[in-house]
Amino acid sequence: MAAVDIPISGAHAADTHDDPDASYLKAGRGIGSWLTTLDHKRIGLMYLTMVCLAFFTGGIFALLIRLELFSRGRTIMDAETYNRFFTLHGAIMVFLFIIPSVPAALGNFFLPIMIGAKDVAFPRLNLFSYYIYLLGAAVALLSIIMGSVDTGWTFYTPYSVQTQNSVISMTLGAFILGFSSILTGLNFLVTVHTMRAPGCTWSRMPLFVWGMYATALIQVLATPVLAITLLLLCAERFFGIGIFDPKLGGDPVLFQHFFWFYSHPAVYIMIVPGMAITSELIATFSRRAIFGQFAIAMSSISLAVLGFLVWGHHLFAAGMSEYATMLFSALTFLVAIPSGVKVFNWTATIYKGSILWASPMLYAMAFIFLFTIGGLTGLFLGTLNVDIHLTDTYFVVAHFHYVMMGGTVIAFVGGLLYWWPKMTGKMHDEVKAKIGFVFVFVGFNTVFIPQFIMGSRGMPRRYYDYLPQYEIFHRISTVGSWILGTGLLITGYTLLEALWRGKRAPRNPWGSAGYEWMTDTPPCLANFHKTPVFTRGPYDYHLATPEELATGWDEVEQDGKKG
Amino acid sequence: MANVSEPVNPGKGHAEHGGDAHAHPSFLAHHFDTPAQQFNAAKLGMWVFIATEILMFGGLFCAYAIWRAVDPAIFDQAHHFLNKKMGASNTIVLLFSSLTAALAVRSAQVGKRKLTSIYLVITILCACAFLVIKYFEYSHKIHLGLLPGHCFGHPGFSGAIQNGEEVGTCLRVHADQAAGTPEWVRAIDEDGHVQLLPPRSNMYFGLYFMMTGLHGLHVLIGMSILGWVLVRNMKGQFSKEYFTAVDLGALYWHLVDLVWIYLFPLLYLVGKPE
Amino acid sequence: MEANLAHASGHDDDGAVHSHISSAQFYWGIFGALVFLTFVTVLVSYYDFGSANIVIAMVVATAKAGLVATFFMHLRHDKLFNTLAFLAAFLFLAIFILLTYDDIGRRGEVDNDYGGTIKAQTGQPAPGGEPATTATSDETAGEPPVEGAPEKKR
Repeated sequence: MAAVDIPISGAHAADTHDDPDASYLKAGRGIGSWLTTLDHKRIGLMYLTMVCLAFFTGGIFALLIRLELFSRGRTIMDAETYNRFFTLHGAIMVFLFIIPSVPAALGNFFLPIMIGAKDVAFPRLNLFSYYIYLLGAAVALLSIIMGSVDTGWTFYTPYSVQTQNSVISMTLGAFILGFSSILTGLNFLVTVHTMRAPGCTWSRMPLFVWGMYATALIQVLATPVLAITLLLLCAERFFGIGIFDPKLGGDPVLFQHFFWFYSHPAVYIMIVPGMAITSELIATFSRRAIFGQFAIAMSSISLAVLGFLVWGHHLFAAGMSEYATMLFSALTFLVAIPSGVKVFNWTATIYKGSILWASPMLYAMAFIFLFTIGGLTGLFLGTLNVDIHLTDTYFVVAHFHYVMMGGTVIAFVGGLLYWWPKMTGKMHDEVKAKIGFVFVFVGFNTVFIPQFIMGSRGMPRRYYDYLPQYEIFHRISTVGSWILGTGLLITGYTLLEALWRGKRAPRNPWGSAGYEWMTDTPPCLANFHKTPVFTRGPYDYHLATPEELATGWDEVEQDGKKG
Repeated sequence: MANVSEPVNPGKGHAEHGGDAHAHPSFLAHHFDTPAQQFNAAKLGMWVFIATEILMFGGLFCAYAIWRAVDPAIFDQAHHFLNKKMGASNTIVLLFSSLTAALAVRSAQVGKRKLTSIYLVITILCACAFLVIKYFEYSHKIHLGLLPGHCFGHPGFSGAIQNGEEVGTCLRVHADQAAGTPEWVRAIDEDGHVQLLPPRSNMYFGLYFMMTGLHGLHVLIGMSILGWVLVRNMKGQFSKEYFTAVDLGALYWHLVDLVWIYLFPLLYLVGKPE
Repeated sequence: MEANLAHASGHDDDGAVHSHISSAQFYWGIFGALVFLTFVTVLVSYYDFGSANIVIAMVVATAKAGLVATFFMHLRHDKLFNTLAFLAAFLFLAIFILLTYDDIGRRGEVDNDYGGTIKAQTGQPAPGGEPATTATSDETAGEPPVEGAPEKKR
């Protein structure tokens, strides 16, 4: 069995107190060993716990919002509270959940393994960025306790400058979280450049790693501008500097430029990792080499670069100059192309592949379908004359939920189900996972398709109350949110249940040729027992040996019989 | 033969497994294979971090550039309130400190521990000098009430004295407070001339304090970093083979200098001369 | 099966750090050039070259920054990617500033060209049209007031 039974040698043994061949989960006991760990895998799991908590919290706010919108007028809360709730839903989901989700949780865990490295380049910086995340979350929580914000997660001026709510603490929370994101991206960039194992050339690098690399580029280049934007907003509030507030002679649209220069690339921080996961899932569950591997890798980099050129499409109706609107609209059409490349290549991979319909594959297929809808509706919004009607309506809300939730969250859950055995050493119940998927898929579309319809018919976003003709759509949408919530709870339960009731997972339950499946399940502390040498690509099913592709189920059953 | 397996030649380039005397140096972290890999990773990490700092300061430069393009009258006049001589001195001080930082790295590269310490100390002293000059500039402005936003011309600040009588700082000319009348401000500049500042000049000082303030914060951080490197050097933790921390600390300091190289002309030098 | 040691610095087989060491005189020479350029830029600031003022200042500043980055920060003898990272920051900053200016500095230009916001005959704002913002008007603050003269209504 390749690489699994080879005993460790050399300096690595001196670093572990216990058996260095043992799984990373056993290296060191007690909560202190987790809080002071330098192991990227443990740090990844700690991030995973926090982002799931954040997702749950943001989800609660979403359910409450939808409950309020079930009927016209006041249903369960007043307008002030409603404003605070949709702001919190947005801020928590964007800053505390979706931006860190794939990179900090799954990326931290798998990026070093997939390039054959022992850890990331700067393990202490990795732990530090986790603590910065916690600090940022605490400051944001403080803001909520102090009365929270009702500006929307976008903090547009002049309202955010003039409102009495706790804007400064919320923006400071986001400022701190930004540093966590920057440091994670920095770590990944350096790791990919300097720590690839022998044989891991750029063209052999798994697409998940390419995606993490492209995401890291964006994190590093865009987030500092958010930092300075939030600082300027605080200065404007505190001193009245006069650059954003029109009462002081400033330009509120300038704030929007500053804000969206980060926040548009941020959405690529959200989606590129989701696409990266999907590439892995499609290859494994079609059991073939990804079609156009290099093209997909380059499309990730293209998204990273082109994503910096289109931020003005969030400002089309804000009062920009005509030259700017035309330029940004043209660039927005351009940025749709790399996404299209990926969708075509995934489809070509699936065609005549040997499909295994495991739950991660269901999520991967759902990703392609839902992301395509989200992406195409983005083109409507990128068209200037159509955007005049659709901007700030529910059409926009549905669009970004299709790409962020139907895209990233779906891919994230798919990735969790795919890699859960590798990370925890336990197999989850596939039946429950598939049931959860059905609820999630049906629920998601039930929530958001009515929102496309009512958005195109004029229902504005962020409104507490609405006209009678929209009520039926809101009601369907709310019922959909309950179905979606149920599906996510079922899936969450399935994953947690595996921890205490799951069967022991074999080395490679999905029969993948990926590099991460070539090592122990769960991996040992140094990821591999000896520095690996890659002599084939991660999707080269025709080059992989039968031992490498063997799932290992028979071994697990053997052990089960013995024990 | 497995395709993802143990290395062909485990000894090649993996110094830790060989019998080499420098097999696994104490400064080599366990997740790196060679000191060169560790050094290259550290340098690249530092440069990526420098790129993030450039973009952060860049946001302020963008605000400056936009408002200068849109409202040049403010920038043409307000810069008279900055002392060119102090600014130029600060520039020379920082450039000199950059030199000594580079020389500190050089000394570490050739293994001269004492010289490295001396150069680091000089760099830190230059940083102190910079902050002292900055203190004088800031206190003068606070004294005159040339402050950002609401604080601009605040009556709480005592004015300048001229000819034995208190002239006051930012006297708002035109008692006509009718709505829509732009409010010009009269103030005394660095050379003692009376200057008329266009309305909203407080925005200039807002940008000035934010840009130099953020820069000053980085000077403080840089001093701390260099101080920590100095302590480590005095403890003998650096050598010809391992001087990474000195190199990275100096890089951070050079970044501080780089930002000032752009701040100085934009804030102090560019505008209508008298 | 040749192992491709992607992480090594390229030309070193022993894995030790080999970085270029400049002489102390060289660093002093760079310092001298920097002081000279500072002197130039301060001197030039006492003369008014109109819109070229800022261009000259930025060119000199960039020359100084280039010297610091290339020699003091060792980019000259470092891996190329470090230079790319450094320059990439400026590139994206330039994109940010230029595209933002494309909006804020050019508001209402199309409207002005077509006279779309002001009725040609009366000079009154057209219904539904917004007057061009202060960002494009030539007057930002008007003329400085004359001391002692009666205040004119604007």
